[in-house]
Amino acid sequence: MNTAMDDGRPESPGEQTLNFRAISDDTPAEPPPPAFDAFAPRVAPSRASEPAHAHERATKDVPTQNDEPPRPDRPAPNDEHAREDAPREDTDPEGAAPSAEEPAPEHETGHPDLAAAARDDATAPDEPVLGDRTGPEPVPGDRTGQGEPVADDFTDPDEPDPDDDRSPEAPAAPEAPATEVAFSGDGSAAVEDVRAQAESPDDAFSPDEPVAAPNPVTSTEHPAEPVEPVEPVEPVELVEPVEPVESADGAEATGEDDHRADVVEPGDRAEPTAPGDPAEPATPGDPAEPTTCGDHTDALHPDAPAEPPRRRGGEGLPPETVAALTAALDTLRASVSEVRFGLDLPGAEEARQAQADLLTQLQDYVLPRVRTSTAPALIVVAGSTGAGKSTLVNSLAEKNVSRTGVRRPTTGVPVLACHPEDRAWFAEGELLAGLRRIDTPQPDAGLDSMIVVPTEKLPQGVALLDTPDIDSVVEEHHEIAQRMLDAADLWVFVTTAARYADAPAWNLLRLAKERGARLAIVLSRVQPRARDVVLKHFVRMLTEYGLGEIDRFVINEAKVVDGRLPDSEVTELRLWLAELSVDEERREQAVRETLNGVLNSFRTRVPALAKHLEVQVAFRTELRADVEAAYRNALSETDKAFRGGTLIHGEVLARWQDFAGSGDLLRTLHLRKRGRSAGQAPERVMAFRTALRAGLESVIVAGANRAAEEVAARWRHRSPLGAKLAEDLDRPSDDLVRHASRAIAAWQEHVTEMVRTDGVAKRSVSKLLSFDADSLSLIFMVAMFSGPVEGLQHRLVTALLGAESLRGIGAKALSDLRARIGMLFDEESMRYAHVLDSAGIPDESIATRLYQATYNLEVAR
Amino acid sequence: MTTVAARPSLATRLTALTKIVELGPGRLEPKLLAEASTLLTRAGERLKLSSEHTVVALAGGTGSGKSSLFNALSGLELSPTGVRRPTTARTHACVWGLEGATPLLDWLQIQWRHRFSRSSALDKGETQLNGLILLDLPDHDSIRALTDNEADRLIGVADLVVWVLDPQKYADASTHRRYVTELAGHEAVTVFALNQADRLSAEELAELVIDLNDLLRREGVEHPSVVPTSAVTGRGVDSLKSVIAAAVSRRRAAVQKLEADLHRLEQRIAQTMPVGEALSAPSTVDDARRLGLTDALCDAVGVPAVGEAMENVYAERSMSWVGWPYPRWLAKLRPNPLKALRLHDVADEIRGIASGSVSAQPAEVVNAVQALADGLSSDMHPVWRSSLNHAARSQAAKLPKALTDDLSEAAPRLDRVPWWWRLLKMWQYTLVAGFVLGLAWLATGLLFPGQAPLGVRLLGDTAALPWVGLMMAAVLGLGALSGIAARNFVELGASKERERLEREMRRRVSAIAETMVVEPVERELGRHHAFYTAMRAMAG
Repeated sequence: MNTAMDDGRPESPGEQTLNFRAISDDTPAEPPPPAFDAFAPRVAPSRASEPAHAHERATKDVPTQNDEPPRPDRPAPNDEHAREDAPREDTDPEGAAPSAEEPAPEHETGHPDLAAAARDDATAPDEPVLGDRTGPEPVPGDRTGQGEPVADDFTDPDEPDPDDDRSPEAPAAPEAPATEVAFSGDGSAAVEDVRAQAESPDDAFSPDEPVAAPNPVTSTEHPAEPVEPVEPVEPVELVEPVEPVESADGAEATGEDDHRADVVEPGDRAEPTAPGDPAEPATPGDPAEPTTCGDHTDALHPDAPAEPPRRRGGEGLPPETVAALTAALDTLRASVSEVRFGLDLPGAEEARQAQADLLTQLQDYVLPRVRTSTAPALIVVAGSTGAGKSTLVNSLAEKNVSRTGVRRPTTGVPVLACHPEDRAWFAEGELLAGLRRIDTPQPDAGLDSMIVVPTEKLPQGVALLDTPDIDSVVEEHHEIAQRMLDAADLWVFVTTAARYADAPAWNLLRLAKERGARLAIVLSRVQPRARDVVLKHFVRMLTEYGLGEIDRFVINEAKVVDGRLPDSEVTELRLWLAELSVDEERREQAVRETLNGVLNSFRTRVPALAKHLEVQVAFRTELRADVEAAYRNALSETDKAFRGGTLIHGEVLARWQDFAGSGDLLRTLHLRKRGRSAGQAPERVMAFRTALRAGLESVIVAGANRAAEEVAARWRHRSPLGAKLAEDLDRPSDDLVRHASRAIAAWQEHVTEMVRTDGVAKRSVSKLLSFDADSLSLIFMVAMFSGPVEGLQHRLVTALLGAESLRGIGAKALSDLRARIGMLFDEESMRYAHVLDSAGIPDESIATRLYQATYNLEVAR
Repeated sequence: MTTVAARPSLATRLTALTKIVELGPGRLEPKLLAEASTLLTRAGERLKLSSEHTVVALAGGTGSGKSSLFNALSGLELSPTGVRRPTTARTHACVWGLEGATPLLDWLQIQWRHRFSRSSALDKGETQLNGLILLDLPDHDSIRALTDNEADRLIGVADLVVWVLDPQKYADASTHRRYVTELAGHEAVTVFALNQADRLSAEELAELVIDLNDLLRREGVEHPSVVPTSAVTGRGVDSLKSVIAAAVSRRRAAVQKLEADLHRLEQRIAQTMPVGEALSAPSTVDDARRLGLTDALCDAVGVPAVGEAMENVYAERSMSWVGWPYPRWLAKLRPNPLKALRLHDVADEIRGIASGSVSAQPAEVVNAVQALADGLSSDMHPVWRSSLNHAARSQAAKLPKALTDDLSEAAPRLDRVPWWWRLLKMWQYTLVAGFVLGLAWLATGLLFPGQAPLGVRLLGDTAALPWVGLMMAAVLGLGALSGIAARNFVELGASKERERLEREMRRRVSAIAETMVVEPVERELGRHHAFYTAMRAMAG
């Protein structure tokens, strides 16, 4: 492996550095691959193919390692490594480019094959690996040699797939694709790998024994990252140190280098690990730590030992993946931020909250994390009020970074404690960028700020964040705590012997489980005499909740002095932290696991938003349909009134009788001398006309009344929100009567005009008598509205206007009236549309975009 | 609650609540209504049960030390305590003075095996606790409580609730948001015990008590009674006991609790339906509104128009009966263009149309009723507005038909012919005959002067001719005059008839409106008034 690393580095120094980090990440991943194979399927069954890839890689890696000794094989492994590395390599355009080009095709093809291979590997190849393990321990080169057999085995199973074969053959080319693969797969795979490593000793091993063996080796190698360089082959150990230097982290890099140097040794250690000695895993760098680590590992992560201390050596994700992922996430964020839930439907508040959470999490955590996955891990300490979060953080930091006290809730502003070296990252980084950083507690510090306190007592690479509570009366605290948790790489959940059965606590644990976040649980304030009972019960509850495997720490009730617990109570936790700090691989695995969990959660959270948006759209559509239906009904009702003759009732009827019976009708028709007709219309004609207008108006108003009421009733029936929206809208608008009367007057004018101009059809008639257009139009309207019964009015107008033009004018007049009423009703219904619109117009296309963005994100992964 | 004495009795307020529950369906939110009827039931049941006993419940989160405090208060290890959370799953009860308590315990649904009696303790001088039923509730905030509402139920039912808080959990949202914020007005029946005081130093305890007091005040508990206790050391247990004893010996906690609950319920109802100006809303339909409604309905029927039409049609038609015939006959000689249009019979049809019928226009009827309801309900709560509308229109569908039918009876038959028209007509024709006779005479006299047959010699008397002429002129004049006079009579009669008719129609419209619109509306107004009166009474 080392040799490989060397090779890669020589090729492109800049890249190498990058590679280096990447490698560290990947490498760990790679070594684990064997374990992965076994593990991956468990971890991410959904992504069968991807994990498979990972495995493949792993397998390939293994083979490469194995191959390395034999050059031909090496390239292949290199490729694989390169893939992983390649993404990281992005930084080095040159180096990456060449490798990427060639490999690309293979990668694609390779993946499926790889998957297959991986499976095969898992089964068959592992065994050889095991053999290797024993062998590889001594030197990277040896490892490779050992690995080779494995590779061969892999290849054999993979043989059917030419790609697989190729991959080994063409090292450089495959790399680029590999990186991609690595991303989706690697991310998970790496994590899985890490886990695998961690677990492998325990769980994975038995089945994967062979794998396990390689893991230790690989892990050690990976840390060394030489794996990648392997291609170049020759410079093994040397290369490694060089890379770190290149890595660009000045001081750290050097430090890292040193570590790496150590690492190499660790590789040796790894061997011991492989045997299964947990103690050995102890980080070489810190003498004290190792022992602690060993203990911890026993309790917590058996894996820990496997990974030597590599600081930031590992790179997060391959650059292509990062780019693709960032793009996908940016799109997602844009889509999510466009969502507006204007209607206060049940669930809207939750949806809005979910949306805000999602955006904040993207901004605060996911995007920064994806861009720089190697940043120090943020460990968020969360839990109930009074559980002792601040005390715990103070004790670990050995400094009163966060105020403690008897008042509940105590902590209102999150406090971040980290190693001074990491301070820059947290003080200026993008992580939780929305929070104002302050150095010391300030009275006016709002909830949107965060105190950053450096302390040397905390190991590098891990930062502790003390959060407000999750269950006190101050509900803003819950939100800020939630926000912190959303940005956490690891959750440390603190509860007490008195509260461990509280519902809010379990809600949070459930959430952590749903999100797939890495979690550790601290049960504090345990009375020593009750410890066994409480612990047993608590563990049983955890197990029932499917959290039985979580890291647990128990802190006894102890006298708190100066806001701190006695050191003895937190030793275990401190060791755990130190281990995380030193054991880069494991830390990164945890980080990635959580990140993956969050990304996984987007699969359900984003569509949930889209779903609610669709609900809103559907609701709005329904409401609009209600309005439309109501007014359509009203229109058809008025139409019925016009056709059915109900209009010629009441006053209209009386006026008509008056008009006809009093002789005015005949008088208007009788020989009226031309020129005199322009005279004032008789009183009765006016009254008749007015009555007709009033009648029409009342029909329209009644229709509008009914429609308004119907809309209100329908909306009320739909939901309380509908009732709220319909408030004050259960009556027609105040302007309706005025508008209606104007519309009817205009219509009457129009009809009179039509009768005057179009109605002169019959020459014979016009020769004989002149008639008053006003009166005739009135008779015409009566004829129009008097329904199916033919009467005098029909005969009159037919005789005067002729059947043809009567029909023409009749149709025109009626449709004109309808149009006018339609306009009135449209105006009325606009009020409802306004109410709906003012509540925000949900855009259905955004829902589609959300789905698309989710899908794209999955693809990018 | 310190002013309880000044308030109307609990019975009055419960009666008011009964009224509200009765009127509530369809108007109150279903949730509130359910709560109201639950409270009513609970009050009835609680008041029926022993008033000699006071139910005191120890409530709080898991691990706060309810059971320990329970044991400390009772002096016995009755309720198991433990370190496993949650410890207590079933309510335990301890009774001081068991007599008559059993039905109450049954009502509280305390299991038999969890009932304990401390009657023997009376010997120890705990007489002031006689009548205490102390309950040790399960917690309300653990995951177990999510599926078990026993604590919630008993907190609602207990006469006095002692909230057991502890330094760790005293500010938990699960306690405060769900219960404490609801406690405004419950000060007299709520005690806060700050347990586990032994875990704190004196200064810390003092700080914490101040903080807790502030917190409670912010949440609307104006005078919180906070008692620091320690079940472990026994500190403060006696003061808690004396607080409880005071409540128990007063025997008022049950009533006070119900009063506080009533008060809270009233406030919550008032939030959605504030009494405000509601009681100043009209409780009856006043005369002006009745008049307005009748007017509007008359318009819908067209009463004024019907009257006018009747008058005009009468006048027109009367002309052919009582008018001087000659002008009519002259008019007929003129050419009639209608004949050319083959409409010569149109006049008869017009007579047919004008034969008179009355009907109500549905749309206008509906609008009239709506206007009344809108006018009355303009200031009402939307719920009441809608129910008033509903009441007003309950018979709106039948109204036009009823109006039409009823008024048709009263409507004038426009084609009828009064007897005096016939008389006048006879008179007119008599005059016409006289004129014709005179004309004949004149003609005879002029054509055959002096040659008249003997029998009618007089006719030939030329000397009489001037008189005949004079007579004929007089007849013509008399005819014209009588025609004019008759027409005036007709118009006079018609206008009187119209007045009578309009009066009659209005009376009928108004009667129908009264039974079909005003009555239902007034019934609803009465309910409205009763509801808000009850609200006021309940508020005390």
